[in-house]
Amino acid sequence: MIAAWTLVAVGLSALTVLVYVAIRRRTNPGDLENAVQEFRSLDIDAFRNLVDSDEETFLREHLPPRKFREIKRQRAWAAFIYSWEAGRAAMALAKVGQAAQRSPNPGIAASGRQLSESAFRLRLQTIPACLYLMNAVLLPGRHARSLPTFADQYERTSETLFRIRGFSSAGQELVHSKGA
Amino acid sequence: MLGIGWHHVLSAISWHKVLSAILAIDWRKVPFLFLWISSHVLLAILTVVFYRRRLYRGLPIFFTYMLCELAGFIWVFTLCFILTGGNQLGYAWSATQLLSIVLLFGVIDEVSRDLFRESKLLRAVARRSLQCVTGLLLAVSVLLAVYQPGSISVKWFAGVVDINRGAAIVQSGMVVFLLLFSRLMGLSWRRPALGIILGLGVLASVDVASFALRAEFTSLTWTEFLNWLTSGDYLVCVLIWIGYVLAPETEPVFPPKPKSPTAIPDEEVETWNRELQQLLRQ
Repeated sequence: MIAAWTLVAVGLSALTVLVYVAIRRRTNPGDLENAVQEFRSLDIDAFRNLVDSDEETFLREHLPPRKFREIKRQRAWAAFIYSWEAGRAAMALAKVGQAAQRSPNPGIAASGRQLSESAFRLRLQTIPACLYLMNAVLLPGRHARSLPTFADQYERTSETLFRIRGFSSAGQELVHSKGA
Repeated sequence: MLGIGWHHVLSAISWHKVLSAILAIDWRKVPFLFLWISSHVLLAILTVVFYRRRLYRGLPIFFTYMLCELAGFIWVFTLCFILTGGNQLGYAWSATQLLSIVLLFGVIDEVSRDLFRESKLLRAVARRSLQCVTGLLLAVSVLLAVYQPGSISVKWFAGVVDINRGAAIVQSGMVVFLLLFSRLMGLSWRRPALGIILGLGVLASVDVASFALRAEFTSLTWTEFLNWLTSGDYLVCVLIWIGYVLAPETEPVFPPKPKSPTAIPDEEVETWNRELQQLLRQ
């Protein structure tokens, strides 16, 4: 009997998720300007410093354990926020990239494909990075390894974004072609 | 000509017999019959629209599912009037249910392929994750079938209910996973694919609840209520499909020309590049 009612609850929960997704679906493919601004606001140097293992070793050696855990928790939390925001920015870029992929202009479509693929990769990296950093917030005493893949991916996405900076003007071109 | 034809028909009808037939109808079944028939009529309309707009090219398994569902409905509906007793109707219903389950798994696969069509990376990651989710849900379904078989005395029917319940758990889990994953990654859906997956999700999640209750509560009142619920759910599902398929695909709407220039200035790009190169050299 309990199993039956549990399944009823599971079914209703799934239904709630579906209704939520259906209602919250946005047709707006994303705002390029906002996406670039969001991406720009992230300071890669600061993030790299926060997750640097050498820095952590230095702090561990020169601070009393209690103080170290406190500092480590704060650093991990700040890095978590960075990672979270990077994920959100990647999502926004992915939306812009996908919208550009549908362009009849092959150049814009190719740029959009490149941008969205790079953004997807970054988004995928931020998920384990967030989990890892949350773990560091909860258990600051544990030894941590650095997060090179996430930072590297961030850099690669930045490079992609800047390499295809003509994409913005191409987006404008698309607006005009749609309006015509 | 038409008037003469109708005159002959009307005069041939024995009004006494018609009245007897109406009185013989079990009126409790009317809402169920209405939901059951109307949902399939709408599904037939959707199939025609699908065919005329050539949407079956992009979603062939879903089109096959609709055709099979309609054929199954006609078969079971006909048997309802021909057969007066025995298990044949139950067997026919079970056969159509099992075929639907197989095809709906195909539909989920088809829609997921459509969703990840533009990214090799996501296709690989999503496929792996979806396999894990499916395996986990399948294990839960098997465990439920073994340890919570329900109180249905007829063995073959209990088996069919178990299979349906298990399939509904796996399908609703897969649909929820696809929707959440696409939301997490900022993926955009094509309108028909989103409609199909939403409708299918509604169908599967209500089925999870209804088949769980069907296995536990076997009284006539519960059976009638659950029949009514599943038929109503199917009608809602078909209406969602129609709504999303008939509505035109929205073109990507770019925001109006921004007030400030979006283009990244060269100076800033160079500064970033220098900084990034330094970082890479470290």
